[in-house]
Amino acid sequence: MTMNRRDFLKVTAGTSGGLVISLSLPGCAGIQTGYDEKSGDWKPDAWLELTADDQVYFTLARVEMGQGTYTGLTTLIAEELEVAPAGIKPRFAPVASEYRNPLYKLQLTGGSISVATSWQPLRVAGASARIMLINAAASVWEVSPGDCRAAEGRVMHPNGNDSLSYGRLVELAAKQKVPDEPALKPRSEWKYIGKNRGRLDAEAKSTGAPIYGIDVELEGMVFAVVTRPPRYGARVRSFDDSEARKLPGVLDVFQIERGVAVVADKYWRARKAQDAVTIEWDNSEALSVSNDQVFDSYHQAADEDPGESERREGDYNDAVERAERLVEASYEQPYLAHATLEPMNATAWYRDSGIEVWAPTQAPDLGRIAAARVTDLSPDNVTIHTTFLGGGFGRRLTNDYIEEASAVAFRMRKPVKLIWSREEDTRHDLYRPAMLHRMQASVSGDTVTGWHHQIVGPQILDWYVRNAAPAQYPWAPKFLYNTLGRVGLMAEGIATPKDHSAIEGAIEYPYRVPNLDIRHTHTDPGVPVSWWRSVGFSHNGFAVETFMDELASELGQDPYRFRRSLIDHEPRHLQVLDRAIALSQWGKPVAEGRARGLALYRSFGTYVAQVVEASVEAGEIRVHKVACAVDCGQVVNPDIVRDQIEGGVIFGLTAALYGDITFEEGQVKQSNFHDYPLMRHDQRPEVMVDIVDSEEAPTGVGEPGVPPVIPALGNALFALSGKRQRKLPLKAQV
Amino acid sequence: MAVRLTVNGEKRTVEVESDTPLLWVVRDELGLKGTKFGCGKGLCGACTVHLNGQPVRSCSTPVEMAEGGDVITIEGLTTDGDLHPLQLAWVEHGVPQCGYCQSGQIMSAAHLLQHNQSPSREDIVAAVSGNLCRCGTYSRIVAAVESVVENRAAQSSQGEA
Repeated sequence: MTMNRRDFLKVTAGTSGGLVISLSLPGCAGIQTGYDEKSGDWKPDAWLELTADDQVYFTLARVEMGQGTYTGLTTLIAEELEVAPAGIKPRFAPVASEYRNPLYKLQLTGGSISVATSWQPLRVAGASARIMLINAAASVWEVSPGDCRAAEGRVMHPNGNDSLSYGRLVELAAKQKVPDEPALKPRSEWKYIGKNRGRLDAEAKSTGAPIYGIDVELEGMVFAVVTRPPRYGARVRSFDDSEARKLPGVLDVFQIERGVAVVADKYWRARKAQDAVTIEWDNSEALSVSNDQVFDSYHQAADEDPGESERREGDYNDAVERAERLVEASYEQPYLAHATLEPMNATAWYRDSGIEVWAPTQAPDLGRIAAARVTDLSPDNVTIHTTFLGGGFGRRLTNDYIEEASAVAFRMRKPVKLIWSREEDTRHDLYRPAMLHRMQASVSGDTVTGWHHQIVGPQILDWYVRNAAPAQYPWAPKFLYNTLGRVGLMAEGIATPKDHSAIEGAIEYPYRVPNLDIRHTHTDPGVPVSWWRSVGFSHNGFAVETFMDELASELGQDPYRFRRSLIDHEPRHLQVLDRAIALSQWGKPVAEGRARGLALYRSFGTYVAQVVEASVEAGEIRVHKVACAVDCGQVVNPDIVRDQIEGGVIFGLTAALYGDITFEEGQVKQSNFHDYPLMRHDQRPEVMVDIVDSEEAPTGVGEPGVPPVIPALGNALFALSGKRQRKLPLKAQV
Repeated sequence: MAVRLTVNGEKRTVEVESDTPLLWVVRDELGLKGTKFGCGKGLCGACTVHLNGQPVRSCSTPVEMAEGGDVITIEGLTTDGDLHPLQLAWVEHGVPQCGYCQSGQIMSAAHLLQHNQSPSREDIVAAVSGNLCRCGTYSRIVAAVESVVENRAAQSSQGEA
């Protein structure tokens, strides 16, 4: 990202006589920055605060849900500020335009772009402060700033003996000129970037520190649970709370937009009282779909509508005309739940001055909208305190739980903690959409001449805009929120220019095939859907890399050689492919009863190749090894990259082996980990990760580990049995 | 009912319904938030505590079953501010990602190490297999436990020498 320094640094005379420096993205302002004479603290920009007693606070504009931004982004600041990462105290950002994600124009964490988009601005922020501190010290010593240097939170005198701590310098530093183009440290001088330095949050997370949303404790807090309609879209017709109200500790039972809330002085009492409430549902607008119908409707849609052309190269129809033969396959992939281990929860407190919400959310400014929608407040009167997240994976981009907690708190006028049960979490998720992929390739001799990919299913943005639109149009009056969100055409172009959620990872088809026709047939069965770790890549990866494997097999070629011959124009693809092949000992004999499968896939700008070694034992699929090669550009923290790729592998394998949310008459059948299982310790493979040493700009690592492992496992099972599985989850016997 | 418990060495009495899961007593009555709610059915292990020396799923243990019992939670592993060797290993190995399951993972591993001086990798995996991690930190968990086992072995062989 390139940005003119002048564009986003604004210097003005502060009201307190100090200097107010506001580092912000174009068109944004609002964070109070500058030198505070009373406290002696200096906040040079929206991200940094240096105090007279040598504390350094870093405002983290992204949330920490396990992906490591807490450590990674702090490392970027630390490197340029010349303070050890462990010496910086990160704080989660309040809602403010400065902290919006520059790509989405919303303050949200997702899409594996936190490091990529922060890489330049955070280092600039750290460097600017460092230079101003050095200039301040140089003016004290009456020496040239060029002869001073900063290290370990101090500015060192050229004489090599004297030094001044940052805390002593903040008042003077605040009066220095903000550098126009602060020189960033050369790669050779990096102390922290690219080095393993552990995770800054590891101790809190190993000692049971109360850092998650569910741990929030407020004086006089009461507990709420909500019964939601079993069928999506149903409404409360009537309810009988007479028995529930007799139970100990029950404070209130009432209807909210999303169901019936039960409030009690203790969580367990609220749960028990919930069972005593009988509710009659109005199912007139409820979802009635079953899984079979979903795929039937997809096939019908695919037959009737060839879909929107999303990428076209050459002339696919002509290639078909000339082809010796066509290869065809269709793939069905199910709905998937996020299953964050920390269930949805939020704590809200409505008072005269507004409402405060404490929540594990990936999108705090959308949380403000959610709270405003169900109270009499405007978003400006909603304060969101973001906590650590016990997993996110896209689920917490939707703030339905904040909406519920706020609605309950609006009525109760005291602090309310809402907690979802695991069953509620599984059954009232917004799911990774079920998708159908129809693939066709034209083949002549041993050459693939054309590639046709028809993606069939919904778009996620249709389900999201209700919350997102008002956050991006803060001037819009509240009564317009629903309209803003629900008018599909208007929504198009609001949050992103185009919703790529269905087609990402399909339209970037990288192999050298001259004629391409890639299409999306948009059809939506009414099941609520959302972003799920790796989003469209999660299903397109399976389609593309399974079909590539099918073609290799059709042509009697080795899956590696076949791919390699079609990707030698893409050096970064090629490199990870070759390295994963070497790491996995592809081509060498494999243990009796095992086979290997390969996939190569780029998502979120990161190149990943994976080789899975698997077997079927005692009627179960066993995954023994996964060899991964990764090119994510410049690595900020190799340990975290390795963790994210390995975690992505486990996440992807969980989907490939078990992931299946099924609807029956509009109701989700699964409820808890016995029927929506996650991969366990004793099922995990050995994961090897080879990271390419690169000086390219960094790209994301939270998601790219997920997509390729699913087809790689399917391809291994094909190599093992000779039978191709075209429906997920994969089965041991077909 | 009034339930008497010894929690992390302290005698406590709580007034709750007898069927209240131990989890909510520990978290909300005693304010120890390190023990986590994950599934409510004993399926994920996030709520693991030690009850009378045994690892139990506190989300599905009615508090009446713990009456008079000795409960150790993740907070009880830290003594006088000193981290338990497993907690130190967790930090050293950078185990946690989101971190939500880690209290339960550590409690399961701690029980193993109390009863098995030199567990094998299979023993370790078996001890923690009931603890789900959605982030997939499994390999680091095993490596961290193994490092504690190795340190122990090194210390005891030094003692012998």
